[in-house]
Amino acid sequence: MSSLHLSFYSAFTLSSLGLAFHRTHLISALLCLEGMMLSMYVGLTMWPIQTQTPSSTILPILMLSFSACEAGTGLALLVASTRTHGSDHLHNFNLLQC
Amino acid sequence: MDQLLVLNTFMLLTLAILSTPIILPLLSKSLKNTPTTIVNTIKTSFLISLIPMTIHIHSGTESLTFLWEWKFIMNFKIPVSLKMDFYSLMFFPIALFVSWSILQFATWYMASDPHITKFFIYLLFFLIAMLILIVSNNMFMLFIGWEGVGIMSFLLISWWHGRAEANTAALQAVLYNRVGDVGLILCMAWLATSMNTWEIHQAISPNQTPTLPLLGLILAAAGKSAQFGLHPWLPAAMEGPTPVSALLHSSTMVVAGIFLLIRTHPLFNNNPTALSLCLCLGAISTLFAATCALTQNDIKKIIAFSTSSQLGLMMVTIGLNLPQLAFLHISTHAFFKAMLFLCSGSIIHSLNGEQDIRKMGGLQKMLPTTTSCLTIGNLALMGMPFLAGFYSKDQIIESLSTSYLNAWALTLTLLATSFTAVYTLRMTLLVQTGFVRIPSLTNVNENNPAITSPITRLALGSIMAGFLITSYILPTKTPPTTMPLSIKITAIVVTVLGLIMALELSKMTQTLIRPKQNYMSNFSASLGYFNPLTHRLSTTYLLGGGQKISSHLVDLSWFKMMGPEGLATLQLMAAKTSTMLHTGLIKTYLGVFALSIFLMIMSNY
Repeated sequence: MSSLHLSFYSAFTLSSLGLAFHRTHLISALLCLEGMMLSMYVGLTMWPIQTQTPSSTILPILMLSFSACEAGTGLALLVASTRTHGSDHLHNFNLLQC
Repeated sequence: MDQLLVLNTFMLLTLAILSTPIILPLLSKSLKNTPTTIVNTIKTSFLISLIPMTIHIHSGTESLTFLWEWKFIMNFKIPVSLKMDFYSLMFFPIALFVSWSILQFATWYMASDPHITKFFIYLLFFLIAMLILIVSNNMFMLFIGWEGVGIMSFLLISWWHGRAEANTAALQAVLYNRVGDVGLILCMAWLATSMNTWEIHQAISPNQTPTLPLLGLILAAAGKSAQFGLHPWLPAAMEGPTPVSALLHSSTMVVAGIFLLIRTHPLFNNNPTALSLCLCLGAISTLFAATCALTQNDIKKIIAFSTSSQLGLMMVTIGLNLPQLAFLHISTHAFFKAMLFLCSGSIIHSLNGEQDIRKMGGLQKMLPTTTSCLTIGNLALMGMPFLAGFYSKDQIIESLSTSYLNAWALTLTLLATSFTAVYTLRMTLLVQTGFVRIPSLTNVNENNPAITSPITRLALGSIMAGFLITSYILPTKTPPTTMPLSIKITAIVVTVLGLIMALELSKMTQTLIRPKQNYMSNFSASLGYFNPLTHRLSTTYLLGGGQKISSHLVDLSWFKMMGPEGLATLQLMAAKTSTMLHTGLIKTYLGVFALSIFLMIMSNY
């Protein structure tokens, strides 16, 4: 595959592995989610250029707006869980489970 | 051609002279206004306005003057046009005569007021706005005059603005007039869209007018002329000083609504719905106001309700398609009603602010001129033969009885006529005759010529005006010439019956019977329960409905509960159920997730 495809495929894979295997902080998971979103944005932008269909140029903008909402929700969850648990360390989250 | 030039010149000169007390102090610092200069200005304008009236009576000259044109948009031009026809030429001298007398009276009545010159300037502004309304041929200029008299009425009713009731009354006047303005704007919009003009002489050409603009005009007249439904502001407007009540709320402003209907009367010709609406509305107004006046104890409120009743009678005349007769009633009514208000002002000031007729009595000997003119005014109001009120009122009742209309309007109007006799007799008996009920150290004095000459001048007008106007003006529609004797004397018989009944009732007041409350006297004394019902119910419903729709429905339900918070509650139910099942091992879950994705990708190769 071309170097262009390799760049954002690898970006996507690395970010998703980072999402799966983060160690302590919840915020690093959110950052990896943002990275996935960013690589998808680059991919969606490359697609109309490669296939010469300018009418789907709007698609990355739509995706960007939705992912901004999702990032906001994620940060709200982070703040809420930090307020109740004192930090965003993941191993604290099920400490008081009965 | 010569007469036309003189007519136009003197009418414009009248208006110019009236505006000199406003313009001249702006030009030079040394020209200050005093109340005497303003009274002299209005006297001069009155004398000059007699000339165009005489020219019209002599040769029937009418004129339509176009001064300047405002090119509003491409197709629609609004000229400043003045129409000097019978109505405006006759009304100018009458309005100026009444204003002259009232302002001369006000130099005595308001003498202790520190801002008397401002009061006079306000009255002058009002007069100019009213005359613009009368002389305009254009609905736009009429609207300017209409709003002008409304604003000046507001400022003048709340003249003693430290008094809370005066402020409430002024606000009431503005609000009820505003409701009527909606009707006027509706009619103007219809005229602009369908006839592309606001000129009255161009707008009255069609044969059949749809009912919608006529409803707008009737609503405007109901608001300005205090017909039933939009009437509470007129009795409340008695909070203003007596010259204000005499000028605005008896002779000039309240007839603006009727005048609008007179100006546009050709539109009503072929529309029986609108005519019947005018008839019934006027009949209800006149009876309701006469009923409310029966048990009032404030002298100014009695005269205010009698004004309201006469306005209803004018509306009835419009409903009979007799605009010239309505105008005749406007003219004669101006004289005796202004005189009644001035007499009441003289009585009030002499008794040191006492307005309650239960605390007056025996004033015939103490204020002879005032009470004699009060009697003349009351007789003219009742329609005593050959005083001013007779010529218009009797003709109206005759036309009512001989035309093809519903008997209900006729019954109400006749009943209101007899009630007129009852309440005027009650007022006369309690104020002028009987035992003296005022405190003994009251300084009762009417020897100032500023009091007696306006009142006697208006008394002369009350006696002669009807005769003079009907002698010199030919009627445009033939009055009924033959009728049975019983129809001819209906008005007088009904009035005399009312008088006899009132005399009988007045004997009962001197026999020390404790007054009982029954439902009829309660209805009359509380003004038909109209004020508490409408002022509280309508505002509660409107504001409550507004709160329900905007705050409860939109803000709280749609934006909060059915939107985000509804979604949150839905998720919360599911989350609470499934939180028992989770073990919380996030890293394990995500590791398994990554492993599954890897296996799925690998299985394709």
